[in-house]
Amino acid sequence: MRAGEFDEAAFFGAIHQSGARALLIGRRALVLLGLPVLTAAYDFWVHIDDIAVFNTAAAQCDLLPSVLPETARQRGRYVLENDEHVDVLVARAVTTVDGVRVAFDEVWAARRPVSLAAGVDVQLPGIDDLILTKRFADRPRDVEDIRLLRILQSEPKA
Amino acid sequence: MSGQDHVRSFAERRLSPLEAREYLETPISDSERDEVLALVRWFMRRYPTPLDRLAYVRRAYARWQRTLGIARSQ
Repeated sequence: MRAGEFDEAAFFGAIHQSGARALLIGRRALVLLGLPVLTAAYDFWVHIDDIAVFNTAAAQCDLLPSVLPETARQRGRYVLENDEHVDVLVARAVTTVDGVRVAFDEVWAARRPVSLAAGVDVQLPGIDDLILTKRFADRPRDVEDIRLLRILQSEPKA
Repeated sequence: MSGQDHVRSFAERRLSPLEAREYLETPISDSERDEVLALVRWFMRRYPTPLDRLAYVRRAYARWQRTLGIARSQ
């Protein structure tokens, strides 16, 4: 599958229709907010009880999970793949490198939907929460992204 | 380890708390802010819908991968 062949609208539409509590995090969330950053993968944080629903939605785009839902729950992470790569985080809460506990339910409650097409919304964390997700690992690109998000946040329209 | 692997492992490494703090606590200058916001304005104007923006990133990433392939073959 080449770059242009993956139907992103269908992918996000299937997730929306499934009702899975799935937050788009990672750099594609930044892209939706207006930051032109480069990324290969899709990153989601999915409610731990919605793994199977999310996988069924992703299967409509031929994306297959790397492990069974029970294993994913134990590990807290898994991957959906074909020629695309979707990293999925499934923890109820994650602690940032500096010790802040970030609970999925709280981030979900404060989410901001972005409309991709009629009837297709993508759920993003609020910018403050997105910044917190960038502190789960503190890789160089994460701290770069935090600076970008802070600048975006300083704009009244962000 | 190839040069590309070295770059990847460098980019994927976890920063030390000191490195992260230094980076995050460095004040954002006016010029950095202006540059980023100008880029955001261009991106939103050039690709006005969220789907346009996602598609742009897919094309840009594919282009970057092709460039890497050319670099590897040289």
